Amino acid sequence: MNNEIQVFLNKLSEEFFLFAPQQDGAVINIKEVRDIGDVDWSGRMPTNTWKALFLPAREKMFDISDGRLVKSKTSQPKIAAIGVNVVDLKALTLLELVFSRDVYYQERRCNTLIIGYSSSWPNDYKKYKIFSHNFEEDILEHLIFDIFIAQFAVGRMKIYSGSEKGQHILEEGGIKDYEHIEFAGPISEKGPDKKMLLLKKKMESSQGKRIWHELNKICIACGKCSINCPTCFCFDLEDSVDPDNPERVRKWGSCFYNDFSLVAGGGKELDTVSKKIFFWYYHKFVRIPFEYMMPGCVGCGRCSKVCPVGIKIEEVLKKV
Amino acid sequence: MLNIYQTNKVRIISASQESVDTKLLRLEFIDSEIKKNFHFLPGQFVQIGLPGWGECPISICSSPNDSETFFELAIRDIGVLTNKLNSLSAGDCVDIRGPFGNGFDVDLFKGKPLLLVGGGCGFVPLRPLIIDYLAGRLESKTLQILYGCASEETMLFKKNHAAWNRRAELKVILEKPSTNWKGDRGLVTDLLGRIKISAQTVAVLVGPPVMYRFVIKELKHKKLSDENIILSLEKRMHCGIGVCQHCAIGPFYVCKDGPVFRWLDIKDYYSL
Ligand code: SF4
Ligand code: SF4
Ligand code: FES
Repeated sequence: MNNEIQVFLNKLSEEFFLFAPQQDGAVINIKEVRDIGDVDWSGRMPTNTWKALFLPAREKMFDISDGRLVKSKTSQPKIAAIGVNVVDLKALTLLELVFSRDVYYQERRCNTLIIGYSSSWPNDYKKYKIFSHNFEEDILEHLIFDIFIAQFAVGRMKIYSGSEKGQHILEEGGIKDYEHIEFAGPISEKGPDKKMLLLKKKMESSQGKRIWHELNKICIACGKCSINCPTCFCFDLEDSVDPDNPERVRKWGSCFYNDFSLVAGGGKELDTVSKKIFFWYYHKFVRIPFEYMMPGCVGCGRCSKVCPVGIKIEEVLKKV
Repeated sequence: MLNIYQTNKVRIISASQESVDTKLLRLEFIDSEIKKNFHFLPGQFVQIGLPGWGECPISICSSPNDSETFFELAIRDIGVLTNKLNSLSAGDCVDIRGPFGNGFDVDLFKGKPLLLVGGGCGFVPLRPLIIDYLAGRLESKTLQILYGCASEETMLFKKNHAAWNRRAELKVILEKPSTNWKGDRGLVTDLLGRIKISAQTVAVLVGPPVMYRFVIKELKHKKLSDENIILSLEKRMHCGIGVCQHCAIGPFYVCKDGPVFRWLDIKDYYSL
């Protein structure tokens, strides 16, 4: 990465905790940055996701004191997410919609700076082999970010701001040569993504198809795919029974877990593996597009990589 | 920004044993502003909870007309939280979020014969409709009520039955009654076969999934249209606002788009 950016990031680290993709053995992982030189700018898809920074795996919502719920006072740390690729930006854009009325998400988001990055602008979509939606030229207008660094295939680099906050921080950091892009909402002016609509249609009429019976025999319902998916946001609300530290928390859930649909009295809607995995796909390819007009799967391929029995989402989609 | 997970305190005005496993809690908000502004529709539910014990969704069983004075919840003791709630008495406080959900669209009942079919504790959300009908606030042409439950001991709202039967037609059927029981014995579907139901009827069903299977079959037999068969569904819930996914069915959320659905809209997603 060029010197100007290195200096900028160094300055940023005085105010923010920096998180970025870094080489971790054979893989790339998103973790806290100790040395700016460690940041991976190759554009390879990180193994883990950014979502824990925006939606922690476990977060305290309330302290319980004198039988009352008191909103937890913990102040949110200032975090800069650096080098978020376009696919992951798309996932964060979805989370932003889903949690638009969520005070915990919004408070955290206020203290977070998102710096997007493309290592081969605008060819990322080819590189990542996105199968769930199409690439649009105007994609940056429909993604949320504060700053975006676009490295063109032929050496040139361009910097964009995507919010007032981003603009302000660029100026303060001494970067004057940037272009501002106004966020025009998550959906393109041309309407919802065609590929997404096609997959939605296929999925809507796929109940009872053979693929779900096949998966019933293979999938072990471990939930790894959902935990590692950047758009999976199911959660449980739970009260801690610890007498020294009574609290109400929010925890990541997974539709693959047995108690996900369990009701008092013992009934369970999702009582087979086939129903669970169908529910998971239905959320991504029907429910989210129906509700938000956005793809519920950004096509990052993480679920296929972590699946212990080798289920590949692209292959499944061909059979629905 | 409003915290949608923040609860409000209500005081238990009275807690009475409604059946062997169910208590009827009459509640009022402690904050007078909240109390004054608490409005709901029949069929809507609240999340009732206790800090440290969690929350669960319960349908409101009193009339919206009384909402500025009190509202009522029938709590069946089936888990740790409901057990705790049922150990409370007048003067104690609990937490409430809501109301949530769509509630019944009572305009659909206008000028039509209305049939309510309740099974077991599922009967609870039907009570506001009955109260409103008897008070002349529901413009359905007639009201028939079929109620099936296990035994006299588990029967809900016994005290109201005589009054209901005066202006509406109430039939109760018990699966395992005591020897003293003079009424019908069997399942609620048995009653359906015996009464006259016109094809114009709007039927509202609340009960366990098995009941839906048989009742819908019978109603289709009687030529009711799918848009006039209305169900209230029960699901596991956490958020109550269509985010956590626990209550999803097809493209819908029971907490937000439901709990009341026309059969027409959900039959593709609900396996009978
Ligand atoms: S990771 Fe694979 S085996 Fe585990 S729940 Fe997902 S699809 Fe099933
Ligand atoms: S490819 Fe898999 S992990 Fe990535 S967004 Fe789609 S479902 Fe989630
Ligand atoms: S209870 Fe969370 S989506 Fe319905």
